[in-house]
Amino acid sequence: MPNIDRREFLKLVGAGGVSVGAGFMLREANKDPREYLIPHVLAPEDFSSGLDTFYNSVCSMCPAGCGISVRTREGRAKKIEGNPAHPVSQGRLCTLGQAGLQALYNPDRLTAPMRRTGEGESASFEEITWEQGLKQVGDRLDLLRAARRGNRVAFLTQGVRGHLAQLFESFMRQLGSPRLLHYDFDHPHTLYAANQQFFGESRLPYYDLANTRLLLSFGADYLNNWISPVHHSLGFGESRQGRADVRGRFVQIEPRMSISGAAADEWIPAKPGTEGILALGLAHHIVAEGNYNGADLGAWTNALADYTPDAVAEQTGVPVNSITRLADSFVDTTPSLAIGGGAAGNHSNGVDTLVAVNALNYLVGNIGQEGGLVLNPEPAGPAVQQHRASYSAMVELAEAARQGEIDILIISGTNPVFTLPPAAEFAEALAQIPLVVSLSSFLDETTALADVILPSHTYLESWGDDFPEPGVGFSVGAVSQPVVSPLYNTRGTGDIILDLARRMGSSSVMPWQNMEEFLKYGWRRIYQRGDSQTLAQGFDAFWTSVLKAGAWGETTNGSTAFTLNPDVIAGIGVAPPEFSGSEEDYPFILHPYLSPNFHDGRGANLPWMQELPDPMTSVVYGSWVEVNPVTAEEMGLSEGDLVDIQSPHGQLRVPVFVYPAIMPNVIAIPIGQGHGEYGRYAKGRGVNPIEILSPLLEPITGNLASSATRVNLTPTGGRVKLVKTGGVSRDLGRDIVQHTSLGVEVSSAADNSIPITEVTT
Amino acid sequence: MSLFSRFMDGWRKYRKPGYYDEFDYHWTMTIDLDKCTGCEACVTACQAENNIPVVGEDEMAKGREMQWIRIERYWEGEYPNAKLSFIPMMCQHCDAAPCETVCPVGATYHNQDGLNAQIYNRCIGTRACAVYCPYEVRYFNYYDHEWDSPLEQQLNPDVTVRGKGVMEKCTFCIQRIRQAKDVAKDDDRRRVQDGEMQPACVQTCPTKALVFGDRKEHESQVYKSMNDPRNYRVLDELNTDSSVFYLKKVDA
Amino acid sequence: MNVSIVPALKVLRPAAMLVIVILVGLVLGYWANATFVPGNSPEQPIAFSHKIHAGDNEVPCLYCHTQARRSPSAGVPAVSKCVGCHLEVATEKPQIRLLMSYWENREPIPWIKVHDLPDFVHFTHKRHVLANIECQTCHGPVETMDRITVSSRAVNGSAQVGHPWKMGLCLSCHRENEVVNGIDCLTCHK
Repeated sequence: MPNIDRREFLKLVGAGGVSVGAGFMLREANKDPREYLIPHVLAPEDFSSGLDTFYNSVCSMCPAGCGISVRTREGRAKKIEGNPAHPVSQGRLCTLGQAGLQALYNPDRLTAPMRRTGEGESASFEEITWEQGLKQVGDRLDLLRAARRGNRVAFLTQGVRGHLAQLFESFMRQLGSPRLLHYDFDHPHTLYAANQQFFGESRLPYYDLANTRLLLSFGADYLNNWISPVHHSLGFGESRQGRADVRGRFVQIEPRMSISGAAADEWIPAKPGTEGILALGLAHHIVAEGNYNGADLGAWTNALADYTPDAVAEQTGVPVNSITRLADSFVDTTPSLAIGGGAAGNHSNGVDTLVAVNALNYLVGNIGQEGGLVLNPEPAGPAVQQHRASYSAMVELAEAARQGEIDILIISGTNPVFTLPPAAEFAEALAQIPLVVSLSSFLDETTALADVILPSHTYLESWGDDFPEPGVGFSVGAVSQPVVSPLYNTRGTGDIILDLARRMGSSSVMPWQNMEEFLKYGWRRIYQRGDSQTLAQGFDAFWTSVLKAGAWGETTNGSTAFTLNPDVIAGIGVAPPEFSGSEEDYPFILHPYLSPNFHDGRGANLPWMQELPDPMTSVVYGSWVEVNPVTAEEMGLSEGDLVDIQSPHGQLRVPVFVYPAIMPNVIAIPIGQGHGEYGRYAKGRGVNPIEILSPLLEPITGNLASSATRVNLTPTGGRVKLVKTGGVSRDLGRDIVQHTSLGVEVSSAADNSIPITEVTT
Repeated sequence: MSLFSRFMDGWRKYRKPGYYDEFDYHWTMTIDLDKCTGCEACVTACQAENNIPVVGEDEMAKGREMQWIRIERYWEGEYPNAKLSFIPMMCQHCDAAPCETVCPVGATYHNQDGLNAQIYNRCIGTRACAVYCPYEVRYFNYYDHEWDSPLEQQLNPDVTVRGKGVMEKCTFCIQRIRQAKDVAKDDDRRRVQDGEMQPACVQTCPTKALVFGDRKEHESQVYKSMNDPRNYRVLDELNTDSSVFYLKKVDA
Repeated sequence: MNVSIVPALKVLRPAAMLVIVILVGLVLGYWANATFVPGNSPEQPIAFSHKIHAGDNEVPCLYCHTQARRSPSAGVPAVSKCVGCHLEVATEKPQIRLLMSYWENREPIPWIKVHDLPDFVHFTHKRHVLANIECQTCHGPVETMDRITVSSRAVNGSAQVGHPWKMGLCLSCHRENEVVNGIDCLTCHK
């Protein structure tokens, strides 16, 4: 036995004890963390653990109204897909629609009613109960209504359709107030006005892209965010490669290549605001060549006399032979279709431009035809176009507020402080309204100025319905049902309005307890339009079948017969566009465009959308200004250089992106970033080009001519690194994207050694 | 079978291109470049379906994007004749995959359905497979990723949430393939029918540019699509024998 | 010149003894943890005994674990399932009174998960139950357990206690029964 003295012995005992403990803890630390199995208290009826449950609903991320099918697992929404049964989406969905899950589970959602406390710099929001919030607002509403001063209440909502729109209308009628405004930045006012003028229709027609063989798009970014992008993409795919013997051809006319421009076979840059003049130039050539033989030929010849190819070429910058070639192919290819809108409609001549586009369709006789422009039937549900507010209506509202005519403003789902230019002075006007109530789900810029916040559910937690606009040529409707239980202490927008209606004593006129009940009431009328088989099953079975299918349709078609009012022809003509500022002081034209990721800014609080590379530039997490390569070289600008963009109404600082497909005197900035509020992902990131827009109007509709602001560009000498996924081309001469020409047969698939030189660009 | 004979059997199979004489299913995708508009619906759908983390601006600046399917942009020409082509790029599930040969621990291999499989818990993070991949479609988790609560409620329970140090890439939505096979097995042990199952990207594509299916089934949409005269494979000269066929963009 | 190593060893002896003691201590501690707190049989909030229910009273597994035949997850019964019987049965026993207090407060019972597979494993009960595999094959002789312990019946039929739930358990059965695509990693690894 070796000699160990006491000290050593104690040391060994101590070390031994510690190591026993360490060994014990070593195994303990390597154990999996304890997990719990939490059962239900009552077994649920509508789902089983481990299995998916699908709910059909309607997407609300943009105004198109695509039907969706949401996969849920144990009460949580996991994935949104398009609903195959819905005619608008047909099982497909766009990128913003997929990101709707992040709107539902967003960390920056408003979780409970709140009230503003304090003033100015020290103002903050404190949480209140629903009873407190509803009572505060309801009491004021009741007072005004009783005193017959209900017209001092204004209601500002995002564009909604269906029974929620009807609910808003009833509510305001009870108050006796005409101040109901549906405001969206991207609402195509000029398109509606042009259709009203030309067709006498208050609805948009159905543009049958799927069956067309040649599409001329005058500025309409139909694949991205022009009225119904998923449906148009479906039509595009079908037209391009969905038919065995025919490949549809697409031509895009715009000053800056959009996504639709990239997909087009031909991109034609035309000076901003001259798209309508170009359309009439094509029309002139069609008539002059004797390709139109209608009874009103004389009227057309007169109306189009000034739009000779030479005159049009000078005004638009499009060469004469392009004009004649396009016109000839538009007539020779049958069916062909012309559409217009987007930036082209947002000029001082916007309505006339889109009337000119309609004229092209008329002259080739595609109205009511397959592959052309089909007039839609009356929607089965409520349609409330008359409350759509243009820029001038919003300015009027702001003015009324400044004059002290508004006591209460209720805002639902729209963010005018962000989407209106500061020239409208809307934020200042809000300060003049004693009670501003926001029903938003997020603390956006407008909600941050509210006095009371009564937060709504997101669309995935709400009851609602939609009758898509534009329709698809026949009547379609869908019910939007909750796919998960509400996450927070929020309520459905419809439920809030019904509650307020009760509090102002309107429960006899609006007796429904909640939105679901009101929807069922409204859909009873639709049920009664059904055939005998539908009526035989009873309303409850009908309602269940509509929810299960996620779509309802009816084969009433719009009218195919159409006669044009001769006065319309006489009024056809497009004046050159007006711009703000002088050309010497402001040599560039600003082309703001709706970002595919953020739409009008609503998607900026979704991390997936911030991280999604912009389809054209691949930039993430920021803003940029697109500059033509020759212009950039002349000004000594390269990518990342910070420049000051100044308009007659404001200034921005933003980095440069050298963009190969934009006119030399046009610069473009995406809309969507530049939020001052709206959560951690959106706040303080990028710039908002709406901030520097000049308040130029289209006179007929009062629409903001958002593409008509002139700016100048000043390098600052500063640089930032633009974060993007593109950059050095991965192609490296390896022909990753291969092209072919029509009619060239390539060797069959069995032998995949296709020679690299077979590229025909 | 003894351990040794099992090993030799596996070795022999491994040395054969694609390992298998005959695939059970041979999952294939075709992408029509004449239809793709670069809308990136597929990118977001894949992120939602496969628990792909949002890496943040700093990591994006380092080029560490995490997108199992990405859209590449190729500009050609000069104004006013500039043209932009889009090409979606994801794991090509090559039957002669370079990545499979290099993994020192065998975390990536080719399975009997023609899929290039990535097994997360076997991966030790050497990142050699990402280097070997000519399509640059393999992505590495440099960090443990976090989801700001309650965004983690959206995570798909059928897909592993990957931790730090593990490679990941497109799986052709193996969780959906597995579920479709389960449904098919219930239904009298039949095979999965054409159109019964689609990866998230294929399901959402608004122009129907992406088509997916089993190329062994000659009636399937994908078989017809891959035999279109316009078909080609990217970097085919490297003989990776990829399972993704592209249809050439048409200039007209 | 002879240099002896012994002086050096003498100097090293205390260090060597320390290292040996530490190593032995670590092993001892590890073993103590494995034997006394193995973690494969945690104490549950209610001392539910499968022996009484599945063993003595022969309640079928699927009566409570209803989803096993049609879902990847077998499911843990809702509190209402227990109450279904225990509103009348053995109501005076203290554990039953504990159960009823959960029910009266409409509170779920926070069972501790014993059979926990890693998150990267996809196991589907449905396919195994439909293949007529007895629950005891993987879960061991549950009907004899007062408190659930991770166990299994090995391929040769004997009970294995401890932590037998390794990949080998799945693979040995898949190999033995020549399951279609059974040894493909992607079958189980998601």
